[in-house]
Amino acid sequence: MSCHIAHEHAAAASRPLTLRSRPMRIALVGQPNVGKSVVFGRLTGRYVTVSNYPGTTVAITQGRALVGAEVCDVIDTPGVNALEGTVSEDERITRDVLETDRADLVVQIADARNLRRALMLTGQIATFRKPTILALNMVDEAFARGIVVDARALEAELGIPVVEMVAVEGRGLAELRDALVRAAVPQLPPAAHASAAARAEWAHALTTRVRHVSTLSLARVQEALAWATRRPLTGLPILAVVLYALYLFVGVFGAQTLVKLLEDGVFGRGVNPASTWLFSFVPFPLVRDFFVGEYGLITMGVTYSIAIVLPVVATFFLMFGFLEDSGYIPRLAIFCDRIFRTMGLNGKAVLPMVLGLGCDTMATMTTRILGTPKERLIAILLLALGIPCSAQLATILGILGGISFAALATLFGVVIGQMILVGWLAARVLKGERSEFILELPPIRWPRVGNLLTKTRLRVWWYLGEAVPLFLIGTVLLFVLDRVGALVWLSAAGRPIVTGLLGLPPATAQILVMGFLRRDYGAAGLFQLAHSGQLTGVQAVVALTVMTLFVPCVANFLMMVRERGLRTGLAIIGVITPIAIFTGAGLNYVLRALGVQF
Amino acid sequence: MSSVHLAFSSSAGVALSSLAEGAQGVIVEVRQVRGAHPVSEASVERLLSLGVTPGASVTLLQRFPGIVFLCDQTELAVERGVADAVLVRLRENPS
Repeated sequence: MSCHIAHEHAAAASRPLTLRSRPMRIALVGQPNVGKSVVFGRLTGRYVTVSNYPGTTVAITQGRALVGAEVCDVIDTPGVNALEGTVSEDERITRDVLETDRADLVVQIADARNLRRALMLTGQIATFRKPTILALNMVDEAFARGIVVDARALEAELGIPVVEMVAVEGRGLAELRDALVRAAVPQLPPAAHASAAARAEWAHALTTRVRHVSTLSLARVQEALAWATRRPLTGLPILAVVLYALYLFVGVFGAQTLVKLLEDGVFGRGVNPASTWLFSFVPFPLVRDFFVGEYGLITMGVTYSIAIVLPVVATFFLMFGFLEDSGYIPRLAIFCDRIFRTMGLNGKAVLPMVLGLGCDTMATMTTRILGTPKERLIAILLLALGIPCSAQLATILGILGGISFAALATLFGVVIGQMILVGWLAARVLKGERSEFILELPPIRWPRVGNLLTKTRLRVWWYLGEAVPLFLIGTVLLFVLDRVGALVWLSAAGRPIVTGLLGLPPATAQILVMGFLRRDYGAAGLFQLAHSGQLTGVQAVVALTVMTLFVPCVANFLMMVRERGLRTGLAIIGVITPIAIFTGAGLNYVLRALGVQF
Repeated sequence: MSSVHLAFSSSAGVALSSLAEGAQGVIVEVRQVRGAHPVSEASVERLLSLGVTPGASVTLLQRFPGIVFLCDQTELAVERGVADAVLVRLRENPS
């Protein structure tokens, strides 16, 4: 072993520097969730989102790395299971990198526990005829499960360097750098290229030759947890505990404690009075109102997105990151698969749906992980229709929690019922295919704190960079509508529906119109109305149900347009608005007819 | 009755979806159509690329609410229709 490494060093040192017209390009390729992004981060010093959930890298990331005295461009590609046959969007991206001269050299990152699968991919990478290195990552986890791969024997069989690594700890990175100069085109017996089945046979035979599995497993606790989270009898209580912890951390700590600190303290006493004072020197009332008026960019837009939504989003992302990295969320998909199938989706849709509880806008973007365009459309529709974002959830719990459990149960019952009904109809009306549920369950792991914090920070930055501007655009829109008198006109036009059909106080009309533009802001308006005692129990339930079902916030709408086009975005609004109003009207009628009081 | 018995003892294999929890075996075939619900070609390809290939050893871990099985070192959750497509030769004496 030691003499082998010494030989490697000698080879690296004796190699003369090659002059190139451009840096050598190294592509990191591998199955989802094997640690490509970690290796990328280690090589380049750049961080990309890393998670214990297959399919997190959806675009190519590029960075510079120093190998010896040479500068290289390293490309992180989305995880691929196959490079041939019907490939997904991600797989096409990776294949394009391999087909063109965007990559001079390929480093295949493999999960040491899943050698056979990795070799199936090696066989496909070989067809691109590029110098390749195989990096066996997570050898520590493999060892804990009693799996040992003879890297030298594998090296001899494939004719390429094979490096053992534990990338998260930085082990094996130096060996990988040294091995770059020895990269070679993988040598497979010609028969292995004949068909997918022949390649599978070759991979299987090779695996049995170089891998040794003992029954000894050191990962008992992890295995017990993995078992407990997927069995109904233990899994459902665990789910209840997880949801309660989520509520405590996001709903109470984030939405109440932190929001109070920021809204009343930092903004209420600091930023807003200060900027109002500053703008009082501006001689134009229109400019003044634009920044610090009722719908001012600072007093409403910035205050709202930073003081009220940011703490909720940040605490949610932290908790979500924890669940994601621990490997819990895919296990949840097992429980959701059946119910999602009636809505034309499958268990995989659980990831965007749970993420939607934090921010529907971000969740709309994550629907890219779903298999078919039809599934993506249904998921976007259901997110907009029924999944309350964390800001709304806080309002719902705040108002109805104070009334009664029955009130809460009614709202969620109606909203979930509506989602299932609409999903069921959409699955039948919309053209296209549903994909079958096949999901890899990653091992249960204790998340790494550093990774968790970096990931949360990156997501919060995303929120600040992508969602906050959309909030600001929404505020400007509101300001313009208010100026030209459209807000008053809309409220007047909506009043008959609000007071007549929904049986709500006239003041709710304005709030619901606001909810049109920013449903979460509208929810905050309802909160004030409820606290000043202007809403009965039935009215609160009806108003909040309509608000939850209503058109998403402007940020979410703009994201739908970005993902699926303007026509689809408008169509979704056209479908959701009548559903929200008629459900509210029906609920109002039924509750009153039954004489429910809450 | 005899045909059922035959199916179990022959090398043709039984559907993964019919295995009892804890049963172990070796995959003999992954095929596209079985029974009333055809499995899409994309699903078969996806199974193959996830390592669900002939020769791989499988253990059925769970049947409800969805089928969960261990294929080599990969834990996979699938819907029943997909598990119908995977044919397994049962190991006689599960250790």
